[in-house]
Amino acid sequence: MSKIGVYVCHCGENIAGVVDVEDVRQYAEQLDGVTVTRRNLFMCSDPGQEMIRQDIASGLVDRVVVAACTPRTHEPIFRTTLEKAGLNKYLFEMANIRDQGSWVHAHDKYGATAKAKRIVASAVGKAANLHPLEDKFVDVTPAALVIGGGVAGIFSALELAKMGHKVYLVEKQPSIGGAMAMLDKTFPTNDCSACILTPVMVEAANHPNIELLTCSEVADVNGYIGNFNVRIRKNQTYVDWNKCTGCGACAEACPVRTANEFNGGMDHRGAAYIHFPQAVPKKAVVDMSVCINCAGRKLGTEPRISKKTGQPVLAACEKACPSGAIDRSHHLPAEGTLRDIEVGVIIVATGYQVMEKENFPEYAPDSPNVITALQMERLISATGPTGGKLLRPSDHRKPRTISFVSCVGSRDVRHHTYCSRVCCMYMIKQARLIKEKYPDIRIFMHVIDVRAPGKDFDEYYTRARDMGITFVKGKVGGMEILPADQVRVLGYDVDLGSNIEVDADMVVLASAMEQPPTAKLLARKIGLSFDGAGFFKELHPKLKPVETAVEGVFLAGCCQGPKDIPDTVSQAKGAAAAAAIPLCQGKVRIDPTISEVDTEKCSGCGICTPLCPYNAIVLKTYSGRPRAMIDITQCKGCGVCTAACPSAAILLHGYTDVQILSQIAALTRAA
Amino acid sequence: MQTVNLTQMDKEGIAEKVIAMGGEGLLNCVQCGACASVCPVARAGFSLYCKNLIKKLQSGYMEEILEDSSTWACQACNRCTEICPRDVKPSEVVFAFRRIQAEELAISTSAFTPLMSLYETGHAVYNKRSKELRKKVGLPETPPTSIGDPKAVAELQKILDDSPMAELGIFLNLMSRKQEK
Repeated sequence: MSKIGVYVCHCGENIAGVVDVEDVRQYAEQLDGVTVTRRNLFMCSDPGQEMIRQDIASGLVDRVVVAACTPRTHEPIFRTTLEKAGLNKYLFEMANIRDQGSWVHAHDKYGATAKAKRIVASAVGKAANLHPLEDKFVDVTPAALVIGGGVAGIFSALELAKMGHKVYLVEKQPSIGGAMAMLDKTFPTNDCSACILTPVMVEAANHPNIELLTCSEVADVNGYIGNFNVRIRKNQTYVDWNKCTGCGACAEACPVRTANEFNGGMDHRGAAYIHFPQAVPKKAVVDMSVCINCAGRKLGTEPRISKKTGQPVLAACEKACPSGAIDRSHHLPAEGTLRDIEVGVIIVATGYQVMEKENFPEYAPDSPNVITALQMERLISATGPTGGKLLRPSDHRKPRTISFVSCVGSRDVRHHTYCSRVCCMYMIKQARLIKEKYPDIRIFMHVIDVRAPGKDFDEYYTRARDMGITFVKGKVGGMEILPADQVRVLGYDVDLGSNIEVDADMVVLASAMEQPPTAKLLARKIGLSFDGAGFFKELHPKLKPVETAVEGVFLAGCCQGPKDIPDTVSQAKGAAAAAAIPLCQGKVRIDPTISEVDTEKCSGCGICTPLCPYNAIVLKTYSGRPRAMIDITQCKGCGVCTAACPSAAILLHGYTDVQILSQIAALTRAA
Repeated sequence: MQTVNLTQMDKEGIAEKVIAMGGEGLLNCVQCGACASVCPVARAGFSLYCKNLIKKLQSGYMEEILEDSSTWACQACNRCTEICPRDVKPSEVVFAFRRIQAEELAISTSAFTPLMSLYETGHAVYNKRSKELRKKVGLPETPPTSIGDPKAVAELQKILDDSPMAELGIFLNLMSRKQEK
């Protein structure tokens, strides 16, 4: 006969304010197998735990039921209490009389107390049938994968590499750097983005522990914490990077002129191109989707020999390359090459995209002088399409009046309900940079309100006002295209209490940061979930901000939600620290509350294998017959196979039939 | 109110002028409204008080508000300046605007009596009946100020005659009236 101790928690007023805890304790006293009942203001406090420890030590109890809050946060605490007292930690059951009792029935004290009694009876019923279980451990592959080579990914990779861990840094673009590489200067210090980012990019590329995989994407992810198998696709660059010196001769020679994404489509690049001047690695790629095949020969075929010169007729890029890195006679697979790597942890740092102006028909997207703020970054950048001169796109003239429009797609139920957090500050930054360089340009900032909640941010904003930048409180509702490529901004000034108009030469839209559609594909491969705003969901908004529901997978940067550079770097370093834990421990614990097949009972029917959501079950030959086998590292203990098995051959530890039936019996017995 | 085209408004120089006339904090204002919440001018229901005067000046209004006499209701209590979180010193902006109004002769008639009294006695506000009260409590009938000191008043009048206030014309009239007597 088991000796069950029942410990009823007041949780301050959280439970005791509704549930009659003394009544529950007295009720528990007369349940079968119960030897001790106690209550405490906070069972999770030191005195509360000490109570349990002493009862175990003095031999009064050998099973523990704590009637309190949720096992999600508190089960680990009490399991440790049992362990310290020398009792198997799985001889513990939690009765959640707070979340399922007092909180949801706050209006009905009597009913809540009656329900609490039943929940306790159910837990006691199960506790009587608990068995000791043992944790299992598996080795951790000592390597990490960082997906995304923006500032978040770079810092996560560097932190882990400096701790001595091997890191694969995967970036789909030809260069690392991400969105930060496109920025001109950064608030609130106005230091040059490239100047602070480039050294870190180079450091990451040169670090002996970091393997840089650019032009690469994650094709597939299998496995679990400690042992992920990841398939990486290196996209076809059509340039031999072992030979390419990054001289850019091919880019200059290429006759193609296509919109340059890095400069927001405001100038052109060739089909052969280098991502941007400070690219790391500085290697050329050929974009076959726009290549016009100027030499007129099929890719992968030998060049024609010119009758005139007797020399082979080469494409412009081939001819220009001084190191022979481009050879179009090679047959290179268009889909790139696959490579499998093994890692123990994964950090997802895939970043964001900004909403394009075409999403906003009310803001005159047809006008070339209406641009997004990211395009403005390129327009004022020394490496941008105008070499840092502010010229409006329509006629390359200096604008006299600029309107900045905030909350474009943010804080708007038609697009995104969230605040993109950085727009106010980068608009102010751009306005200040423009005003510093061209004091005669009139600048209007149309804002619902100014959000400047960071170190030195409000001071930065105040200075903008002093510089003569006009802030207009009120959201812009529409725009009209005027002659001479001007745009009339139709706004409202809350403080004047009047409609206002600005005839602007340029309009900058602070459009929302959002999750790119490709994030869904990656989420499916890894098993990540999304929050209401469409960003990757962290495990807990406050206490587990870099962890995810998938153990061993961590988040950093804007893929988790919009944030500025300081916050991104902080989170990246936090994610690296969290990801380093399993790498340092070398082993990960496997929870024993998972399924196990009784091979004697299993008929080998195979019903369970396709049902398992974690692909944990395979049929293996055992004594000449097929038998289901469960990979303990993959099983999550969901119980689908256990319920489906027609031979009742699968046991879910911690949730056996006897345990569940005893719970049901207790719940259905009149209280 | 009709739609205001901010680009077409002749904003050039207006903020600079107000700043030059003493309203140095004009551009600091974020329109939080703290000044108006305690301003007697706003509370009494006048149309143009610290907060919205500042907003209009920031937006480039001048002609439109020049004739508004509300600003002359300001008693310089300075509560606005004490409460302002942005160091705008709203009362200084109100006074800077009043100086501009005065330059344009857009002075409220309510300001004339104190100005004339100042010229005549050296006191903007002087109650003649105070003589009796002072006598009653054992004080000299006139205080030891410019009252009853023609030399001091003459000096003061000289200063005022040389000041921009003389351009208002009201002092001259006063003097000629005196000479007629």
